[in-house]
Amino acid sequence: MVNDWIISAASMVILSVSWNMAANAGLISLGHAAFWGVGSYIAVLTANRLGLPLLVAVVPAMIGGALLGMVLAVITGRLRGIFFAISTLAVAEGLRVVAVMSAGFTGGGEGLYVNPQVRIGAHWLSATMVAGALISILVAWLLSRTTWHFAFRGMRANEFAVQMLGVRPVTYRVGVLGLVGAMAAFAGAVRVWYGGFLDPGIAFDLHVTLLSQIGPLLGGIYTLVGPVVGALLSVLLSEAARIWFGAQGFGLLVYGLALVLCIMFLPHGIWGLVRQLRTSRARRLSGGQT
Amino acid sequence: MTLLPQLLVDALLLGGLYCLMAVGIALCFGVTRIINFAHGELIMFGAYGAYLLSLHFHLDPLLSLPLVAIIVALIGGLVFKLCVQRALDAPHVNQILLLFGVGLVLQNIAVLVFTGDERSVTTVYSQMSDQVAGVMVAYGRLIAFAVSIGLTIALILWLRLSDTGKAIQAVAQQRDAAKLVGINATAMYLLSFMISAALGSATGAAISFLLTITPFMGFHSLIKGFAIVVLGGLGSVGGTLIAAFVLAFVETAVSYYVPDGGGWAEGVALAVLLIVLLLRPRGILGQAVDN
Repeated sequence: MVNDWIISAASMVILSVSWNMAANAGLISLGHAAFWGVGSYIAVLTANRLGLPLLVAVVPAMIGGALLGMVLAVITGRLRGIFFAISTLAVAEGLRVVAVMSAGFTGGGEGLYVNPQVRIGAHWLSATMVAGALISILVAWLLSRTTWHFAFRGMRANEFAVQMLGVRPVTYRVGVLGLVGAMAAFAGAVRVWYGGFLDPGIAFDLHVTLLSQIGPLLGGIYTLVGPVVGALLSVLLSEAARIWFGAQGFGLLVYGLALVLCIMFLPHGIWGLVRQLRTSRARRLSGGQT
Repeated sequence: MTLLPQLLVDALLLGGLYCLMAVGIALCFGVTRIINFAHGELIMFGAYGAYLLSLHFHLDPLLSLPLVAIIVALIGGLVFKLCVQRALDAPHVNQILLLFGVGLVLQNIAVLVFTGDERSVTTVYSQMSDQVAGVMVAYGRLIAFAVSIGLTIALILWLRLSDTGKAIQAVAQQRDAAKLVGINATAMYLLSFMISAALGSATGAAISFLLTITPFMGFHSLIKGFAIVVLGGLGSVGGTLIAAFVLAFVETAVSYYVPDGGGWAEGVALAVLLIVLLLRPRGILGQAVDN
């Protein structure tokens, strides 16, 4: 039970940080399930076919996720906004169809079990996921200290204008989507080892895409702390909804409502609200002179 | 016996349905410039509406269609008033995620109210079919085709000929100029959102006797609708209609000629969507839509 919570909270943090990183650069992903699914399939297949232990199987999974991200960045080079979002959605759904149809390789609709001989204890997996979450936060922080941060903000505001400043958006796109893909693939890989079973529906679930956006939106999009706060809060929210109401669908209904209400009334999320309150308090203390 | 005539008939019947499916999304985007990610859920509501009326009142889906369309149009109007209206000038990110969230809420309301069980509507004609010149024609599909094409033509005529329809087109072309000549742009937005919802629910009612109904059926319809609208060119009704038949033809051809085609046909819409976005984002007839 405790392991369940740790795994879901830590994977939420990874997904949120990863989604927010892409959003920072103006890339709205509706296809995080694609990275997650590719990561989990590679992790299971390498473990089952080659007998690799978890910590080794995670490496090809992350490479797979990163490659998918980079390829996506290159081929969607011209697309922005809605068009980028829809094409990521199509990629995730397309991969699901491919996974169902290539049954010889992926096990198809019947799914795959992780070879019991290579499975390891739940606490090890929790520890790995938490380590992953901490590393993602660290990566996001490091990135925010470099010039990449400014390039991202420029790309988000206006990709044409930023080109005149000598920023080549394609380079940054490939970089950020590679990184984002590797992170989400890591979370998918560890999660499938924990669950022990994988089928195309689980791997490329739209749900994963949703989970990745809810954290940043709840906590505060484009910030460093926001996605982490939002991710933890959303796990709490869905657990509470599950315990209080129990019925299937309630957890997702709560997520949906949170998503809608946040966008409408709290566009900078909870962290944005906290910052706003702090600024106005500081203003009051300084006698209203700003 | 060659498969070709059968393939053409099947594709034609499917394409009619796709027209109706996509024209709602196209209308909503063309006027409000918002892609309605919740459109699939409105289709799903339409299907459930037809199912409930047939279960409790033994109403034929064709008879319940107008009633269902009115109810879902009101739901659409409510969604517009409550949230979409505030987001009309918001960044695209907010619009995408807002409607994504609305869709999620609607879908899970359906899960709670109707449970995740699969439902289906059976009518007198849903099992009947006939051989015409060696081609099998299922009556259910033929009727769904007739309804869809009828509604699509009605929409186009209404947009072209009526004053309100012309006002909607004016708003779609140039919002500020339309306001200057005295058109209430917000009212036109609301109206097109509601009509789009009504068309979505009509699609749902028309497929209620062809497919199984679940709370999750909306997503697949949405993706197909996107593929058609993008292929046709965002904002072009004519392009959308051509694209609906093109997609229907390719899907049917794949399911006929490719081994395991039924499963791969699922992916055709996705492949089309991706290829068009990458190679020719303006589609067959669309104007260039920047950002």
